[in-house]
Amino acid sequence: MNWNYLKPILFFIPLSVFQLAVVPLISVYDISPNLILILIVYYTLINGQIFGMLIGFIFGFIFDLISGGLLGASMLSFTISAFLAGYFYNQNKIDINTASLLFILILFLCGTINSFIYSGISNSNSDISLIRLFLYIGILPGLYTSLLGLTVIIFKPKKGIV
Amino acid sequence: MSNFFRRFISQFKEYFLLVILIVISLALLSRNDKPEIKRIRAFAFGSFAVVNNFINYFTGIFKTDSSYDQLKEENARLMLEINRLRKQGIENRNLRAMLSITDTSQYNLIAADVISKLVNKIRGSFILNKGFKNGVRVGMPVVSPDGLVGIISDVTENFSVTKTLYNSSLNIAATVQNVNVDGVLSWNGKELIIKNIPTTYEINVGERVETSDFSTLLPPNIPVGVIDKKESLALGLLHTIYVKPYADIRSASSLFILTIVPSKQINHLEMNLMK
Repeated sequence: MNWNYLKPILFFIPLSVFQLAVVPLISVYDISPNLILILIVYYTLINGQIFGMLIGFIFGFIFDLISGGLLGASMLSFTISAFLAGYFYNQNKIDINTASLLFILILFLCGTINSFIYSGISNSNSDISLIRLFLYIGILPGLYTSLLGLTVIIFKPKKGIV
Repeated sequence: MSNFFRRFISQFKEYFLLVILIVISLALLSRNDKPEIKRIRAFAFGSFAVVNNFINYFTGIFKTDSSYDQLKEENARLMLEINRLRKQGIENRNLRAMLSITDTSQYNLIAADVISKLVNKIRGSFILNKGFKNGVRVGMPVVSPDGLVGIISDVTENFSVTKTLYNSSLNIAATVQNVNVDGVLSWNGKELIIKNIPTTYEINVGERVETSDFSTLLPPNIPVGVIDKKESLALGLLHTIYVKPYADIRSASSLFILTIVPSKQINHLEMNLMK
């Protein structure tokens, strides 16, 4: 089996622990980066849309279970985010897509959509408008996630361990 | 014909897969309240919380000694006591003729640490390191030394999930203490609000808000917060009140669970009425 397909699974567990135990410490007014989304987008850009959707779905399922959140919410939001990220997949441009500012842009787009869908599903308050959900609850976490995605570009080895 | 189908499926396989995965996700979403799903969730977060608890041990290494925790517990107990006495003071002033109206029993507290947080603008929740074994049950209120934080929504043997006030699915009956007007406190993704309070009630910024006697989720007189601002709706007949919680929910790390389930209290009151 291709090593590239196993790596995201190995990274997922420590990242989930980090997401639940450490990321809250760096959240600002309930706006926090999504490390698992970074992992999903990164490996979607390396392995393609179908692979991305599958890991998005599985990781979302596991994350919903271990976080005590609404079962199905992360599954759906990660799957759709991976589907979007998959449009940027190009076998000949993997290095450019994962090691340039384009990666940050893709991450911002996917982070915004992910947060918007997750919040839209979880929301039970009819007072929150869709525009507010998108601008306030979608874009800001997307921005934070993409900022954290800079570390992937900075620390990405030339010929990858990651 | 089969070739056409094969080609069709192969050409749009990403879309087929997306639809299948979305349908499965939506099916699961609609089954969140089923007992079997709840059991699976409880088992999964309970198992994983062990890992988080271990991490929390290291992140909490700079915490002060146990006397600090004892003082915090005492503080929480006093906060509840003061609020109860304040309430009684107001009742005494308004209804001097009546005696012994409220429940005088004390609340027992279970100290718990937050071991992980689901940080989200819409659906805030914490996992606490106390569970069924420690006497925690679904529906118990969670407080900090300053005020109400949330309510227990899921319990496993050793861990529990708390739905915080910053969760749009948690709506609680609250009352403005001075004027005794009740409303439903909810989280709108940005602020805690109480809507549709008639403008005939003279409500001022800075007044205290606490859980209401009418609450079916929480016991009465738990301090929630203070009125931060009020807004009149277009016709000027109703107010929307914005409440600033006493508890610093975002940075909460050590909390207390009140070992009281409202239904039992209601039962107790109903039995008293029948005497």
